[in-house]
Amino acid sequence: MPREVKMSMQTICGIDLGSRSVKIALMQSPTESDSLEIKRLERLDTIRFYREYGRKHDGKLVVNFEALGLPEVDSLVSTGYGRNTLELAGGEAIPELKAHVLGAVHQTGLKDFTLVDLGGQDSKIIQVRRGKMIDFLTNDKCAASSGRYLENMANILDLSLEELGQYADAPVELNSTCAVFGESELIGKIVEGYPIKELAAGVNATIVKRILPLLRSFEGEVLVFTGGVAHNQAVTRLLQEGTGKRVIIPQEPQYNGAIGCCIKGSEASD
Amino acid sequence: MGKIGLTTTVPVEVIYAAGETPIDLNNIFITASDAMKRVEDAELAGFPRNVCGWIKGLYSSALLDPEIRRIIAVTQGDCSNTHALMETWEVEGIDIIPFAFPYDGDPDMLRLQMDKLIAALGTTWEGVKEQKRRLDQVRALAWEIDRLTWEENRVRGFENHLYQVSCSDFNGDPERFAREMEEFIQEARQRESLAERNLSQGRKKAREVRLGFIGVPPIFPEMYDFIEEQGARVVFNEVQRQFSMPFPTEDIVEQYRRYTYPYQVFQRIEDIRCEGERRQLDGIIHYTQSFCYRQIEDLIIRKKLDYPILTLEGENPTGLDARSKMRIESFLSMLKE
Repeated sequence: MPREVKMSMQTICGIDLGSRSVKIALMQSPTESDSLEIKRLERLDTIRFYREYGRKHDGKLVVNFEALGLPEVDSLVSTGYGRNTLELAGGEAIPELKAHVLGAVHQTGLKDFTLVDLGGQDSKIIQVRRGKMIDFLTNDKCAASSGRYLENMANILDLSLEELGQYADAPVELNSTCAVFGESELIGKIVEGYPIKELAAGVNATIVKRILPLLRSFEGEVLVFTGGVAHNQAVTRLLQEGTGKRVIIPQEPQYNGAIGCCIKGSEASD
Repeated sequence: MGKIGLTTTVPVEVIYAAGETPIDLNNIFITASDAMKRVEDAELAGFPRNVCGWIKGLYSSALLDPEIRRIIAVTQGDCSNTHALMETWEVEGIDIIPFAFPYDGDPDMLRLQMDKLIAALGTTWEGVKEQKRRLDQVRALAWEIDRLTWEENRVRGFENHLYQVSCSDFNGDPERFAREMEEFIQEARQRESLAERNLSQGRKKAREVRLGFIGVPPIFPEMYDFIEEQGARVVFNEVQRQFSMPFPTEDIVEQYRRYTYPYQVFQRIEDIRCEGERRQLDGIIHYTQSFCYRQIEDLIIRKKLDYPILTLEGENPTGLDARSKMRIESFLSMLKE
């Protein structure tokens, strides 16, 4: 892959090399039409992905697609944190924020919105006007407002991520700036006897508290919320309450970047 | 003739008038092959992790050179971490000469500070004025390099950074530094315009994106080359340019008053606005150092400047990290659309 001869049905593969997981989207479009259909979505642990399916060759990342059980495709587009350290062989690589904008525009059909992407380590806020990125902020030096924080905290509370995401009311106050120290702070609150519901709400509120200052300078009435954290219902609700804006979660928030890659791939082959 | 260390730009004419050699500690720190080790050494000595990398690098760099027995430290107009830095050096037996740029740029206060510096180093105003005439000739070469950067597009962002940043101490030897710049100018004038270099990626035609770099000099100078690989170029290095004192004036007090770096952010913003227009910038990178008070000023800069702004943060001299690359790349792709 990619193969030379084009058939009437175009298959495009988008890969988002994230910090915690690698997301793969396969999409198809009849060449005549604009509409791209999702054929398959796949998510693999990043470490496992590199260890089992990737190898370095001539400074590029060669992926064993056969072992992944992926078919031959017409075009391959990748993005993600890994792309500056290692570029995927045999495909085009596009900047991460661009992939996310393309994915969000495609998934929501909106042209003007603020994209909030909360992933495994990265938080990104992107202002989109007329379908194009006009401003953005990303976290740096600290990943305390990320999915990894939720994972750790869920683990301490012995909840699944899904359960954790159920609680938004009466949040316990958690103040630690550092996500690692935050763990001992949470344990302290457990010892003090707070109910699990309030502890979980506290964890969710903490994420939102860190995102709100970043959102302050972004105008617009609609937030499109993507990334793994968008699956957390409590964070979504608190984000809505904190900003007073409408929050829209696309069908596949976690695959938004990979879907954006497919969109790019389909544009390029037009 | 001895060496005198500097924590940032000070009226260097006074040092030369006293027959001493100024050494900008920032420059020797960041060009050292073991720059990161110097930061780590300061941490081993007890400097906290969450303190500016420059402060730690300066601390170790001064102690590594036994010839540096005196340091002029800027106590106002730069960060307050410098105060503790001065005290830790003093404990190690280094003589500290404080210098304060008055916050409001008051000319009488500034003259008084220069008076005190002149007295401390045992020289005279006459000698200082003579040195100003000498150094202004060297500065004029740095101004020409700057002009070749933005007007003729023959100088790269890093080269522009390097020659201007070196004007804080003239590398300890103004005439030698002047010869280096003369040779560079000769060579640069022969070059093709960088704005017309092959920027097209694939089939698409591209125009060079013109960037301004504002804030303190970056702890990862590798950034300049990375930007150029992406079809853009820094044509304005704000603070580095200030080090070259690009204001033709006979009055040395006025010169250090017009120097924007140590005073209110508003004076800097005026300068950035004016140069941004002249140099036709497409966007601005605001660089701040991790843990620096200037990170707060980012909110004013974003409010007052009408350019797309990328705020970039650097911590240690360990090269340009993947996350910063991602952000620069996204910023440039936004500007190209």
